[in-house]
Amino acid sequence: MTASGTPSRGVIHDLGYRPYQGPRLGEGAIARALVVTGLRNAFGLGRSGKSKVLPFVLLAFNLLPAVVVAGILVFVGLEELPIGYARYASTTQVLLGIFVAAQAPVLFSRDLRHGSITLYLARPLRAGTYALARAGSLLLATLVFLLSPVLILYVVALLGELDVVEQTKDAALAVVLALLLALSLTGVAGLIAACSTRRGFAVVGTIAVLLVGNGLVSAVQSVASFEGADGVGEVAGLFTPYSLYRGLLDAWVEGGGVTPPSGVGMEVAYVLVLVGLSAACLAGLVVRYRRVAGR
Amino acid sequence: MNPTLVRLASHALLGRRRGLVLLAVPVVLVLLSVMMRLLTSEGVGQEAVLNLGYTLALPLVALLAASAVLGPEVDDGSIVHLLAKPVNRHVVAFSKFVVAWTAALVLGALPLTLCSFVMDASDPEQALAWGVGGAVAATAYTGLFMALAALTRHAVVVGLLVVLLWEGLLGNLFTGVRWVSLGTWGRDVAHALDEALYDPGVGLGYALGAAAVLATGAVWLAGDRLRSFTLRGDE
Repeated sequence: MTASGTPSRGVIHDLGYRPYQGPRLGEGAIARALVVTGLRNAFGLGRSGKSKVLPFVLLAFNLLPAVVVAGILVFVGLEELPIGYARYASTTQVLLGIFVAAQAPVLFSRDLRHGSITLYLARPLRAGTYALARAGSLLLATLVFLLSPVLILYVVALLGELDVVEQTKDAALAVVLALLLALSLTGVAGLIAACSTRRGFAVVGTIAVLLVGNGLVSAVQSVASFEGADGVGEVAGLFTPYSLYRGLLDAWVEGGGVTPPSGVGMEVAYVLVLVGLSAACLAGLVVRYRRVAGR
Repeated sequence: MNPTLVRLASHALLGRRRGLVLLAVPVVLVLLSVMMRLLTSEGVGQEAVLNLGYTLALPLVALLAASAVLGPEVDDGSIVHLLAKPVNRHVVAFSKFVVAWTAALVLGALPLTLCSFVMDASDPEQALAWGVGGAVAATAYTGLFMALAALTRHAVVVGLLVVLLWEGLLGNLFTGVRWVSLGTWGRDVAHALDEALYDPGVGLGYALGAAAVLATGAVWLAGDRLRSFTLRGDE
């Protein structure tokens, strides 16, 4: 890059136009712009009308129970929310899975498939930064998806004059859990989408990993609980994002559940695996894009 | 049916990594049932594993197979080369359907029989019932997903919404959904073969008829859509 802006001598065809001599923004500004554009694109903003349909339909489905709960709370006048903030994401995990699986290819596959990745990398933007910026967009989009119902519930709870301290504590815990879940989902979906440039393939692959994996773990957990081998169920819970989330939810917020992690050691392991999984996937993304850039 | 098209479609289905992922789902399911059988007594967890296989693994395999034989070609526009050949479009659709259907039967329905048999070898009748019910559901699912792939670029996501939202979430909330849910038709057939299995109560005749009508109609619709196919740009 010619950071100084001085035109080089080797000009093929010089029409004598004045070159741009103002300040040039660096890698950070490009990455920020990319994150914002990516976030908008994940919801279909700035894209064709058709691509807005799916994310907003899913978001509407996701918000529907929260709105219904809000209505019930207002008209019936309950003493507490019928569904916990953190439990909400676990209840609507199918919608969340479809959203992440369907929108990850929008951010990760298209540039690879159409070769426009070379244009991005022609800027002072390293492949690793590009990958992290894309992951950041997906993370923010997932958080919007996860936290908007929490926000609705929280506002309704406050307007309904439920206990402020208690509600704030619960909501804050839900935000922390949502952040952990969003990180791991972003990592898994992003990595699959970046490795498979076929859209449909990436979507089904992500759903298979997230939901079939979760189903397998649930089956093992219910059998382990039935057989009285809770330890097996706890270890099985370590294997998929949704079961990790569910385990932490049971352990921290609600109690109960099928083989929740017992003891601080296991809880720490659950958190570490969630964070480690996300970190590993992000590292995989960076490696993948570096390899593409090196080609 | 056109042998060349069948060959090309099976290449698209099994070629490269797609075949591996298609294989992975049933293999994991069977491994899980083997593991459970070894660690616990006969029949424990059978229902959980088979429900998972039937409601999630089978539709996903059918979806992957159906979209693999048609989706990528529509996606990158290379289907025009195929459509430019003097082959009846209905034959094109049917040939592709046969390949996807075979895959769904072998990798979606057969593993159900295997799992059921592994976990409870004393009841081969039940294993057979799962297999036949799975086959009926696989036929209907493959047909539906083929038609979706010919209709829209977002066939995979729409298919997922059908399976997970319509049949999964709404099917649990509204009992009326069972009449128009592909999964329950297969379950009804399975129940007819083994009384011990869950009975959705739509009637065997209705279940078989609905599955047949849907599959035939869907394949015809896919052929019809290919007949008047317009290429669109990427969104």
